[in-house]
Amino acid sequence: MADPVIVDRVTKRFAGHTAVDALSLSVPSGIIYGLLGPNGAGKTTTIRMIMDIYEPDSGVVRLFGQVGGGRQHSAHIGYLPEERGLYPKMRVLDVLVFLAEAKGVPRRVAREKASTWLDRLGLADWRMRKVSDLSKGMQQKVQFISAILHDPDLIILDEPFSGLDPVNSQVLRDTVVEYRRAGKTVLFSTHIMEHAEQLCDRLCIIARGKKLVDGSLAEVKQTHGGRHVIVAFDGSQGSAQQVFNDRRLVAKIQDFGQQAELELADGADPQEILRALVSSGARLSRFELASPSLHKIFVDLVGPEAATAAAVPGVASAREGARA
Amino acid sequence: MHKVWAIIRREFVERVRTKWFWVSAILGPVLFAGIIVFQIMQSVGGGVRNIAIVDTGSLGYGAQIGEALGASRTLRAKTVKLSPGVLDSLTGLVESKQINGYLIVSDSLPTEGKAEYRASNLSLQTIEELQRTLNRVVVKARLQSKGVNPPVVDWAQALRVNLDQKKIAHGRTTTESAGESFILAYVMAILLFMAILLYGVNVMSSVLEEKTTRIIEVLVSSLRPFQLMLGKVIGAGAVSFFQFVIWGVSARLLISLRVPIARALGADTASAQTMTLPHIPFATLAVFMAFFLGGFLLYSSMFAAVGAMSSNEQEARQAQQPVTYLLMISYLSIIGLTNDPSSTFARTLSIVPFTSPIATPVRWTAGSMGTGELLASLAMLVIGILGVTWIAARIYRVGILMTGKRPTMKELVRWVRTA
Repeated sequence: MADPVIVDRVTKRFAGHTAVDALSLSVPSGIIYGLLGPNGAGKTTTIRMIMDIYEPDSGVVRLFGQVGGGRQHSAHIGYLPEERGLYPKMRVLDVLVFLAEAKGVPRRVAREKASTWLDRLGLADWRMRKVSDLSKGMQQKVQFISAILHDPDLIILDEPFSGLDPVNSQVLRDTVVEYRRAGKTVLFSTHIMEHAEQLCDRLCIIARGKKLVDGSLAEVKQTHGGRHVIVAFDGSQGSAQQVFNDRRLVAKIQDFGQQAELELADGADPQEILRALVSSGARLSRFELASPSLHKIFVDLVGPEAATAAAVPGVASAREGARA
Repeated sequence: MHKVWAIIRREFVERVRTKWFWVSAILGPVLFAGIIVFQIMQSVGGGVRNIAIVDTGSLGYGAQIGEALGASRTLRAKTVKLSPGVLDSLTGLVESKQINGYLIVSDSLPTEGKAEYRASNLSLQTIEELQRTLNRVVVKARLQSKGVNPPVVDWAQALRVNLDQKKIAHGRTTTESAGESFILAYVMAILLFMAILLYGVNVMSSVLEEKTTRIIEVLVSSLRPFQLMLGKVIGAGAVSFFQFVIWGVSARLLISLRVPIARALGADTASAQTMTLPHIPFATLAVFMAFFLGGFLLYSSMFAAVGAMSSNEQEARQAQQPVTYLLMISYLSIIGLTNDPSSTFARTLSIVPFTSPIATPVRWTAGSMGTGELLASLAMLVIGILGVTWIAARIYRVGILMTGKRPTMKELVRWVRTA
C-alpha cells in the first residue's frame, strides 16, 4: 500500500516570497508524523497544500497513492486547521453534525458519534449550548472532535496543542496515541519540541520552506546529536560556569539556569566533567548521560535563522500577509 | 450533492431559527400595510382646507370663484378685499397655520389666464381643484363676453365625463383599473427590490462569517468552493421564499378573517366585506417568481463575491455599494416604468439582466409586454446569471482564503483570470 501522504518537490510562492521550496516528505501508514519548524517555516502552507486549500506552484501531492489534494479524500481525512473557528451562533451538536455532513457522513450517524465524543471529552452538558458560550479551550476540543468525528484514516492537525491547558492537552495527546494504536496515520505540525519528542515516530524539521532533516526520531538523534550530559543544580552553582566554558570538555551548552544541557567535546570524558563540577563547589541534583533532546537538535538546526526571522519585523509581517 | 444539501440545510435552518426572521415575517406585512396607508393618506391629504381669495380687481371674479368652490368638499374659501397690508397679514395666517393658503386673482383673469396661489403646502389635490374651478370661471366669463347666456354656460359645464377604464392585458380585457394595476406593479417591484437586497446581503454576511471565523478552511477542504457558494445562495433563497409564503398565507388568512376581526374591533363589518386582495393572475405570479429567483441568483452571487473579498463588516459594507447601486437603478426606475411601460427606456431595462428582475415583472403586470419579449428577457437573464456566477465563483474561490487588505480592481481581474 502506498504511503497515505507523499509530498513530492512541492513549491509555493506568495507575492515574491517562497513559502515552501521544493519540499518532499512522505508519511508512512500507521505512525505519528511530526512536521516541525519555527514560526513562518512553511508548516501551515505545506498542510494547506496537502488539504487542497492551496494549489502548489510546482510539484505534486499524493494522498493514498492518488495525485491530488485532500478534497476528494475528505471522507478519509480529518483536518484541524491552525486558525480555529466555528460558527459562534450555532449549537455545539449542530456544528459537529453539519461539519460531518459536509464530509459525507449521514446525519443520523453524525449525531450519534458527536454525542459519544462530547461525552468522552467532558462536553456532554454543552451539546445544546451555543458555541459562543463555550470557553476557548472547550471550543478547541469541539473542533478537535469535528476533525475526527467521521473516523478518518488520516488525521492532519496543525498546531493541535497550542492554547490548551496541560490537562486538555493531555486528553488530546491520549486520543492521538489511541488513533495510532488503531492503525491510523497522524500528521501534525508543532513548534513545541517536547510534544514532538513524546509523540512522533517520524519527523521532519523545516525552516524557510526547506527541509533540514527527516527520519525516525532515533535516526535524527543519532545523526544530529553528539554525546550529551544533562546537569541540574540544587541551589548553588559554585563556579560551574568555568567548567562549562572549558572548550576541552564542553563543545556547546544550552543553559536553562537551574539546568543545562552540555554537548561533550571530542574525546572528553564525562567523568572528568563530573569531577570538575564537584570540585568547583556546585551542588548537583542531577548528572545524566543522555542523547540530545529534540529541542537541542531543533535549536542547533534552525536557531540562528529563526532568530533572524523574528528580529526583522518587516520580514515577519511580509510573511504574514503573504501567508494569507 | 449530499454535501451541498448539508450547506443548504444549515443556511436555511440557522436563519429561520433567528429572532430576526420571525420579526420580519410578522412585522413585514404590518409595516408594508402601514406604508401603503400612509402613502394613500399623503396623496389624498386629510380633511378640509381653508383658503382665502384676494381679488385685486372690481369685476367680481373672486366672488365667483368663492361661489364655485362652495360646492367643494375639500376646500372652504373666503373672499378678502384687497387693502394695504392684507397680503402680509394673510402670509402671517398661513405661517400660523390658521389658513392653508390664499389665491390672488385680478380682472385680467379671463384675458391673460393668470392667477397666483400661495401656500405652505402645495398639495396636488388642492392645486387640481383650484385649477379646475379657475378654468370654469374663465370659460364662463369668456363665453358671457361673447353673449352666451349664463344658465346655458352652467348647463354646459354641469356634466362631467366618467371615464370607465378597462385594461387590455395579454389579449384579454379585464375590469382591473389602471390604478389597481399600477399599485400591483408598484408593490411587486418594491417586494422584489427588498427581498433581493435583504437576502443578498444575508448571503454576503454569511460568507463573511465563515471567512472571519476561518471555518472556511475546513469547508474548502471538503467541498469545492463553487458547491459551497451554490449551497449558500440556494439556502438563503429558500429562506426568502419561505418568508414570501408566510406573508402570502398570513395575508390570505387575514382577508378571510376580515369580518370577525372588524367585528372584534367594533368596526363596520359591511365595509370590511369589500376589502379583497387584488386578483393576481397565475401567469403574473409565475413571472414574478421566475424573475425573483433569477434576480436573486444574479445578485446574491455578486454579494457572495463581495463577502469573499472583504475581511470585515466595514469593508464589506463599502464593497457592496456598487452592487447595491446596480439594484437601485431598477428601483429608482419604478415610477418611470409604471408611467410608461412601453417606452424605449422600459424596454431597455427589461432586457438588461441587472435591471430585468424588477423591470420585467412590472411591465408584465402593466400589460405592455408580449410573450416574445418576455422570453427574450428571461433568456438574457439566464445568460447574465451564468456569466455573473462564473465570475463571482472565481472571485469567491480566491477571496475566501485571503486575509489582509482588500483587493484592487486589477487584482480582482487577475483572480478571475487565474482561478
